[in-house]
Amino acid sequence: MASVRITGGRASPASGPTARVCPDAELAELMSRVARGDCAAFDAVYDRLAAPVFGVVCSVVRDRCQSEEVTQEVMVEVWRSASRFDPGRGSAMAWVTTIAHRRAVDRVRSEQRSANRELRAATFSIAYDDVVETTLAHLDRERVRQCLASLTELQRESVLLAYYGGYTYAEVAQMLGVAPGTVSTRMRDGLIRLRDRLELDQ
Amino acid sequence: MRSGRPEPHVLAGAYVMDALDDADRARVERHLIRCEACAREVAGLRETTARLAAARAAAPPAALKDRTLHVVGGTRQLPPRLPVPAPRRLAGVRLAFCQTAPPALPAPPAPHARTVRQHRARRPAVPARAAALLTASSAAVLAAVLAVVLVVTAGPAARRPATALPGGGTADAVAAIVTARDATMLTGRVATGGRAMIVMSGRRHALVFTAAGLRRLPSSRCYELWVMGPDGDRAAGRLPAARHGMTGPVIAAGLRAGDQLGLSVEPGRGAGHPTGRMLLVLAL
Repeated sequence: MASVRITGGRASPASGPTARVCPDAELAELMSRVARGDCAAFDAVYDRLAAPVFGVVCSVVRDRCQSEEVTQEVMVEVWRSASRFDPGRGSAMAWVTTIAHRRAVDRVRSEQRSANRELRAATFSIAYDDVVETTLAHLDRERVRQCLASLTELQRESVLLAYYGGYTYAEVAQMLGVAPGTVSTRMRDGLIRLRDRLELDQ
Repeated sequence: MRSGRPEPHVLAGAYVMDALDDADRARVERHLIRCEACAREVAGLRETTARLAAARAAAPPAALKDRTLHVVGGTRQLPPRLPVPAPRRLAGVRLAFCQTAPPALPAPPAPHARTVRQHRARRPAVPARAAALLTASSAAVLAAVLAVVLVVTAGPAARRPATALPGGGTADAVAAIVTARDATMLTGRVATGGRAMIVMSGRRHALVFTAAGLRRLPSSRCYELWVMGPDGDRAAGRLPAARHGMTGPVIAAGLRAGDQLGLSVEPGRGAGHPTGRMLLVLAL
């Protein structure tokens, strides 16, 4: 994985498996400094969060140029609304990736009103393989992959299509030829199983 | 509940993965306001999706950091919110307001057209004292909002088992927003006549919209509420027909920083995007 250069020539402390390198408490502390307008803290938060944000945005948006735009929007939003982050309600990583995923999905859905979407659907089988392959790439990812592998096929496909693909459950149902109600249920119990498996190795 | 749609709690997984359309998302968000178990589940599943995101981590180009820091340097930060204590039980609150808010209470005096007044009420610890401790104008707005709730719930809708309101929420969901400790009141004049009264909770990302004295519309048209954000407009719901001159309450959920609330007249059963001119715009 390419390393991130920083203005001034310092080496980036993290650009890869960020969630594991930085404990939640440290990130939460950085966020509280960002909320007080601390630019150095934002610099550090950027280094820890830009990679997961960019990764998830790319997986949904796909277009690299647009993904960079959305990533920048997300990171500026993190700066702007840092005071609204409440560590009592969840981790900073979850807060930021939630913003990122939502922005990415908003971006593709506003574009989807053009013919764009049909192209994405048509090339989907390739995209799906790509999702699985890149998820395999790293040790940290390996654990997520193992947990994903423990899901039923329908659970796994529903989760991957929704989260990495950015599709609605109705669209996923259409792709998989399953009733929408079934897909929404599989998304929930799939994520719950994933949550329970991932918690096991905390 | 609309037929053929999954129950909100079943949609928790699709919700945290942004796999819902706007209508379902709003429905789940209304549900989360009043269902602590689902809110907890959603918070837990967000941690799981964060792991999915981290598993896809990919370094963005270095220039992106420079651009971002440049924009950040010129971006003002939002102020912090005041600390909010845990939610209270709501049944007593509604009873308290029944005693203090007569349904016939007049609307507060009109501000200048197209201006907005904003009041921030300090919320008391004991629900029964709530109305007494509010400032006079805030109390009037709050009373008017609750009057609508009372009028509506006293009507035929209240005799349905779930006390579903015509605007799509329930009396409990309305009470949860109106009695939130960070509840903020906004009033505004509707361009074609009438007054909108809004109680918003930033903490709950939701507001309760009510209106009084709106111009009557032919049955082929309806008032529709919009949440207009940086990423576009989304429908927040049609206003139900007025009862005793009072309209609502309608809950708009899933509010985000920078959103505005708009009201327009739309044909038939409402539109996917606003087509009529905005009769009211409130910055939230």
